[in-house]
Amino acid sequence: MIIDDPNSHFIFIFHPNIYSGEKYTVYNGREMTNAQVMEHWGKWLVLAPRERLDGLAQKLDRFVEARLIPCIKYDRNPSKNLGMEECVMMVYCDFRKRDQVWALLKKQGVRLKAWVTEKETMELWMPGSPLLERWMESMNFDAATKELVREDAGRRLKHILENPDEIFSPWEQ
Amino acid sequence: MAVTVIIPGSLKNWFDGADEVICEPDTLGKCLEGLAARYPAFAAKLYDAQGNISNLLIFVNGDNAARGKWLATPLADGDEVGIIPLAAGG
Repeated sequence: MIIDDPNSHFIFIFHPNIYSGEKYTVYNGREMTNAQVMEHWGKWLVLAPRERLDGLAQKLDRFVEARLIPCIKYDRNPSKNLGMEECVMMVYCDFRKRDQVWALLKKQGVRLKAWVTEKETMELWMPGSPLLERWMESMNFDAATKELVREDAGRRLKHILENPDEIFSPWEQ
Repeated sequence: MAVTVIIPGSLKNWFDGADEVICEPDTLGKCLEGLAARYPAFAAKLYDAQGNISNLLIFVNGDNAARGKWLATPLADGDEVGIIPLAAGG
């Protein structure tokens, strides 16, 4: 199911059961804990113009509905504030299923193979990280707001690391 | 056979419009040095002011090379290198 809310930066593809509370961070039918997500979760990246990603989303939707791909999100517009000229699609899955998911992407013509773990993603957005600092600069945040953002990012990661057995809850985007 | 470096659309102008270029099998560091020598636009973007590669994520056969042996990652015939902007990884 493609969820295209014009108020969101992202377009999402979820299984329809997401609306009855089902999580997408699932492996072999079991909800994953924080520790399991940090160890196993990640995403394949696809860079392309929006039109190409819209077409790809249409093709990949059926794999999400068939639960072969847990979820997907992609940019509505390139993040020009971060120097991006293309949109990015993130095709999420457990590392242990990533080869199967890659095979689906490759069949759809995806060429550049780029896997980023959830742990790496969190590190990119942690206090003091180049990407977080660059993003805050691009948003023209004042010093106080930047500090609040850094504290919030640090708090989120701390919670995940200190509660490894808790069922993972994705961050709202 | 050689090592194929796959370029996303947004970075093609760094490589004279190519969507893939070739490196000799050696190390990732040697591959990037060779590309920087051939493509001045790429050379200008590869390193930050401190001489580090901080604006790009570089993958070898799908895995982030910075998480492994980084520039010492050995490249063999048939390997694929992917280069994307850092912001795409977030």
